[in-house]
Amino acid sequence: METLFLDFFQNTGFFLCDYRNIIMILVGMVFIYLGIAKDYEPLLLVPIGFGMLMGNIPVFKGLGLGIYESNSVLHYLYLGVTQGVYPPLIFLGIGAMTDFSTLLARPVLMLLGAAAQAGIFITFLGALALGFTPHEAASIGIIGGADGPTAIFLTAKLAPTLIGPIAVAAYSYMALVPVIQPPIMRLLTTRKERLIRMEEPREVGKREKILFPIIAFLLCCFLAPAALPLLGMLCFGNLLKEAVVTERLAVAARTSIIDSVTILLGVTVGASTQGDVFLTTKSVGIFFLGALSFCVATACGLLFAKFMNLFLKSKINPLLGAAGVSAVPDSARVVQVVGQREDPTNFLLMHAMAPNISGVIGSAIAAGVLWSFMS
Amino acid sequence: MYGIEAIAKYNGWAISAVGVSIVFTGLVLLSLSISRIHKVLDLWDNRNNIQLFKKKVVKDPKPELPPFTPNEKASARQFRLLISTMDDPFSLQRLLHLAKISGLERPHASLDHLLKARIIEPDHQGHHLFNSEAFDRFVS
Repeated sequence: METLFLDFFQNTGFFLCDYRNIIMILVGMVFIYLGIAKDYEPLLLVPIGFGMLMGNIPVFKGLGLGIYESNSVLHYLYLGVTQGVYPPLIFLGIGAMTDFSTLLARPVLMLLGAAAQAGIFITFLGALALGFTPHEAASIGIIGGADGPTAIFLTAKLAPTLIGPIAVAAYSYMALVPVIQPPIMRLLTTRKERLIRMEEPREVGKREKILFPIIAFLLCCFLAPAALPLLGMLCFGNLLKEAVVTERLAVAARTSIIDSVTILLGVTVGASTQGDVFLTTKSVGIFFLGALSFCVATACGLLFAKFMNLFLKSKINPLLGAAGVSAVPDSARVVQVVGQREDPTNFLLMHAMAPNISGVIGSAIAAGVLWSFMS
Repeated sequence: MYGIEAIAKYNGWAISAVGVSIVFTGLVLLSLSISRIHKVLDLWDNRNNIQLFKKKVVKDPKPELPPFTPNEKASARQFRLLISTMDDPFSLQRLLHLAKISGLERPHASLDHLLKARIIEPDHQGHHLFNSEAFDRFVS
């Protein structure tokens, strides 16, 4: 009887617990708190946070419970991440819920989305300099794109062992957009620049909206074929939305499909952060470089907007440059908030959506480019 | 390996430069293409009006109306007086009737002359209007 009790006790979490599991459980709780109480990206942080709790319950190896055990349920769900299935499905949903009108009305704002992607490549250099391998450096650099699905997709292809820290870093920084970006925005712009009002965008026709996903897909994928899975699904989702006749499919893509995949992705990415695997010096480096990447991307967008103003007759508000990182729509919302702090009657949100959306396209191209270089 | 040495060894500078260029090229090309979509669509909608595809029609120059003689000018002034007594727009039949009972000379021919000079113009709803600008040009 004593032996039975002892065997049972040795299989409990209390006995198998490691201090690293406790740390990760606390981090998971912070994520859940930020999501629920502070409303920071709750749709992502709550599943990831709870996934962290699930992944850090200490389990006896060999029972097929942990996410890294090949016969566990979590492992099968995690295949969607490691095989790069979930990110394109999320892009399908994003395409089906995105309105590209502002981008079509003023295409020049697309360049801001391109400029912000410079952060990816600068961080890639930083990661190489810190001793990461090129595959790992590329996966870390993509965090600067502020696009969770893209970061996971590229990491799954190039450095699968880093999916956990990279996904958590990417989503954490996406959630922390309202905290990270405003100081950089105020530092790099003058008050006069923040007060610039944007011209009213022209009205965009239905046919333009239908043609856009087809043209964007063909052009970008001919240029960077490795962006096909992400851009293909993004553009397809948008075509479903704009075609109207496929409204049922568009509704499915932007509701049930994206919601289901977000749950599976969030929980499994969270569960992949097992303390013994996650808490390494590499993870610390990834978090540091991820933050750097995000800040550099924001700064590149802002500075490029100022550079464009040297040549443009109708000046653009340089705050829009910060929306070039593809955290949709959070960074656009931050632009609106920072702009309105200077002038409450200045509405920048719809203008900021243009670089924000082009950031999504830009980061997908950047991921494709890095993948093709590394493979 | 760390620092600049690691970047150089793994071809980091070239990868970054080419990577940024490709992203920029892609988005610039896309931006240029989508900025032309509405113009191409407008062109397509108005393809029947594009001069390049239209058959050139040589129009005969419109013959200039000879200047009014003093008699015609006098007649035009009398017609203006009659029109001023009528509603605006007015009925051409009623004007002709008034001209006849007022004893104007050759009312049909005079009225035809005023119509050709566009001093009297149709309102395209069955009535006519007096064009004072044309009157001033030909008569005053």
